[in-house]
Amino acid sequence: MPEVVLPIGPQHPALKEPVNFKVIVDGETIVGLELDVSYTHRGIEKAAEQRDFIRVIPLLERVCGICSHAHAQAFCTGIEEIMHLEVPPRAQYLRTIVAELERMHSHILWLGVAAHVVGFNTLFMWTWRDRETTQDILEEMTGNRMNYGMNEVGGVRRDLKPGQISSILSRLPKLEEQIGKYVGMVRGEETMLLRFRGIGKLSKAEALKYGTVGPTARASGVDYDIRRDDPSIAYAEVPWKVVTDTSGDVYGRTLVRIGELQESLGIIRYCLEHLPEGKIGIPAPKVAPRGEILSRYEAPRGELVHFIRTNDTDRVERLDIRTPTLANWTSVTVSLVNQNIADIPVIVAAIDPCLSCTSRITILSERGRRTAEMTWAQLVDHGQRFYRKWGRS
Amino acid sequence: MSGVLREMLENLCSKPFTILYPKEKVPIPKGFRGKIAVVDEKCIGCSRCARVCPAECITMIPDNTEIEVKGKKIVRKKRPVVKFFRCIRCGLCEQYCPSEAIIMKCELSESGTDKEVLVQ
Amino acid sequence: MDLLLVIYVLLFPGFLFLLAYGFLLQYLDRKIAARMQARVGPPLLQPVADFIKMLGKEVIDPAGVDRAAFDAAPLMALAAVMTAFLYIPIVGESPFAFQGDLVLVLYLLTLPTIALFLLGWLSRNVFSSVGGVRAVTMLFIYEVPFFLALLMPALMAGSWSISEIAGWQQEHGWFALLQPIGFVVGLIGLQAKLERQPFDIPEAETEIVAGPWTELTGRRLALMHLTMQVMLVAGSGLIAALFLGGPLLPWNISPAWLATIAGFLMFLGKTLLILVILASLKVATGRIRIDQLNDIGWKYLASATILQVGIVLLMDYIRVGT
Repeated sequence: MPEVVLPIGPQHPALKEPVNFKVIVDGETIVGLELDVSYTHRGIEKAAEQRDFIRVIPLLERVCGICSHAHAQAFCTGIEEIMHLEVPPRAQYLRTIVAELERMHSHILWLGVAAHVVGFNTLFMWTWRDRETTQDILEEMTGNRMNYGMNEVGGVRRDLKPGQISSILSRLPKLEEQIGKYVGMVRGEETMLLRFRGIGKLSKAEALKYGTVGPTARASGVDYDIRRDDPSIAYAEVPWKVVTDTSGDVYGRTLVRIGELQESLGIIRYCLEHLPEGKIGIPAPKVAPRGEILSRYEAPRGELVHFIRTNDTDRVERLDIRTPTLANWTSVTVSLVNQNIADIPVIVAAIDPCLSCTSRITILSERGRRTAEMTWAQLVDHGQRFYRKWGRS
Repeated sequence: MSGVLREMLENLCSKPFTILYPKEKVPIPKGFRGKIAVVDEKCIGCSRCARVCPAECITMIPDNTEIEVKGKKIVRKKRPVVKFFRCIRCGLCEQYCPSEAIIMKCELSESGTDKEVLVQ
Repeated sequence: MDLLLVIYVLLFPGFLFLLAYGFLLQYLDRKIAARMQARVGPPLLQPVADFIKMLGKEVIDPAGVDRAAFDAAPLMALAAVMTAFLYIPIVGESPFAFQGDLVLVLYLLTLPTIALFLLGWLSRNVFSSVGGVRAVTMLFIYEVPFFLALLMPALMAGSWSISEIAGWQQEHGWFALLQPIGFVVGLIGLQAKLERQPFDIPEAETEIVAGPWTELTGRRLALMHLTMQVMLVAGSGLIAALFLGGPLLPWNISPAWLATIAGFLMFLGKTLLILVILASLKVATGRIRIDQLNDIGWKYLASATILQVGIVLLMDYIRVGT
C-alpha cells in the first residue's frame, strides 16, 4: 500500500486536548511523524508579568487543571527563596499533603485513561470511582476539587482541624485496598498485558539523550526524582522511596505510576500523623529584591521548571515555564516510529500528555524569521485574531 | 483475570456508585468555595477586594450609606459590585476583607445565560 | 395456512418480535454491562429512543461519495440478518426449514461485515478505509474456526437443517456438553462477528475515530445499529439451537400449545444466558490489536477447532464401526 497521511488531531477521540500529529503510515506501520503543539496558547507567561505576587498565584494554578498545585508550588518556592523567607514547618507539611494528593489523583486518572485508550472501559469506570475519594478529601481540605488555592507566598491559606485529620486517615485504608486490586488487575489482565508490554520502548540512553523526565524516564531506568535530588517543602523529612523500572515500555511506566501511588499514600499518612504545630504562614513582603532563580518541582508528570526574574518591584519581570510534557514529546516522536497505528494512542497516553501545560509557543507568521517583544495589549489582540481565524477556517 | 471477574460480580450485586443528581444531592463540605455574595451591612468600602481580585471582576461604585461597625458609625463612600460569571472563586477577596463583608457561600454556583449579571 | 405463515413471518415470531427482542436484548446488554461497572445503565426504552432519534437526524453525504451505494449497504445488511432469523427455530421447528439452511444462515450472517467493508471503502476517508480493511481481515481470521465449530453439530446429527439438529439434541443431549470446545469457539466467534470487545477492532474509537462507521449519519446509522442488534438475536438464537438444544426440552410435552409456550420460554432463557456470557466477556476485556488477533486466532482458535473436528470424526468412526 502506498504511504498515507493519517491526521491525528487536533480533534480526535484518542486525545483529551488538541495537538496535531501528521502520521505517515505504510499499511499499519508508522514511518514518519510531524508535531504541532500550539493549540492552547493563552499568553500566561505574559499575563503573569502584569500581576503582583498575590494575584499571580491563582493565575498560575490555572495553567493546568491536573497539576495546578505543582505550578503554584514551584513559583512559591522560587519567590520565597528570592525573598529569603523561612516558611513554618506546618505549612510545608500541609503543602506536601496537598501535593501528594494531587499526585494520587493524577495517577489514578492516568490509569483510567490508559485503560480507556485500549478499550478496557471497565477499569476506567472503576479507577475513576476511586478517584472520587481523593477528590472528596481535597474538597474538604481546600474548598475545591481542582485549582486548590492553598498556596500563597509565605505559607498556606487554610489549616486542618484535628477532626478532619482523623476523617482523612480513616478513608485511606479503603483507597489502599482498591489500589492493590488494580495492581493485581494490571499485572494479570491479558488484554492489557498484550497491549502494553513491549510497546514504545525507550532505552536509558535515548531517554537521557532526549531529555525525558518523570515516570517516563524512571521507567527506562533513569533514577532521577526532584523530590529526592533537590527537595523542597517537606520531602527531605518524610521516609519514601523512588520507584523505577528497567523495561522502558508502556507497561513499565504503568508499574512506575502505580508504585508512586502507593508511595504517595505512605507519604500522606506520615505527614498527617506527624503534622507539626505552629503557624501556617508568615507575612510576605510586597516587593521582591532583584534576582534570578530556577525553581524545580516534581509535578505528577515529571520535572517542572519555573525560571523567575525579579527586579525590585511587586511583579515578576520574566516568568518562563518548562513543563514536563514539553520535555517528553520528543520521546514520543522517537518511540512511535515502526509501531502500529493501533499503538499511537497508547504511546501518546503513556507520557501522560497535558497540552494546557505544553502550549507555550505560538506562531506569529510562517514566513518571518525575526523575534520581537509584544506588550500585553498586543498579545491579547493577536490572540483574539488568531483564534477567530482558526474558528472560521 | 480472576480479580476482574470478582470485582465485576461484586459490582453487579451492589448499588451503583452514581449519585442521581438532582434527585439525590452530594453533601457539600464546610469551607467549600461556592457562590460569591456581598453582605451589604458589613462592607466599609475599603476596596481591598477589588484590588486583590485576580480576575478583576469586582468594581467599586460610588455610594453614600451609613454603616455601623464595631459600635462606631462611619459613612461608606464606595461599595463593591461583582461580575458573577467572571469570578473564579479563588477566595482571595474573602481572605483580605477586614470585615467579612464579601463571602463564598457553601452553595454550588449555578449556570445562567447572562454573562454580565452582577451581584451586589 | 397461508395467513398463519404471514403472521409467523411478519408478527410473531417473525419481524416484529425480532425487532422488539432486539431492543430488549440491547437494553439488557447495556444494563448488565453498566451494573458490572458500578454505573446505573439506561432505562428500558432507551434503545427504542435511540433508534427513533437517529432516524430523525440529518443525513450528511461527504463530497464525491456514491449516495445510492451508501443508502443501499445498510439496507442490504439489515435484510440479510432479518432473513437469516427466519430459519432459526424459535417455537419448535421453523416453517422454512430445509436441508442446508445452516449454510444459508451462516452465509447471510457474513453479509453485514461485507457491508461494513463496502462502507469503509466508499467513504473516501482514511479512517474508514483502514477500518474497513480491518473488518475484512478479522473476517478471514475468525470465520474459519467459527464455521467449523458450527458445522460439527451438523456432522454429528447427520443433518444440514438447524431445526433437525435442535431436534436431534432432544434425544441425545446438548452439544454444549458433547462438544464443549466447539461451544467455546462458537461463542468467541460470535463475539468477533458482532464486533464487541475484545474484538471491536474495526470500530476502535480511540484509534481510528469510528472506522467504517465514521461517515454514517441519520437513518443509515440507525439501520446499521439495528443490523447489529438483530445479528445479536440471530446469532444467539443460532448458537442456542445448535449447542443448547433450541426451543426443546429433553422430554416431550403432550398438549401442542403447551409445548409451543414451553419452547418459546426455553428459547428466551437460552438466548438470555448467551447474552449474559457475551456481556461479561465484553466488560472483562480490552481491545487487542489486529496482528495480535492474527496470532491468537490461528494459534489457539484454529488449532482448538481442528482438535474438535478430530474428536468428532473419531466419535463418528467409533459409532459407525460398532
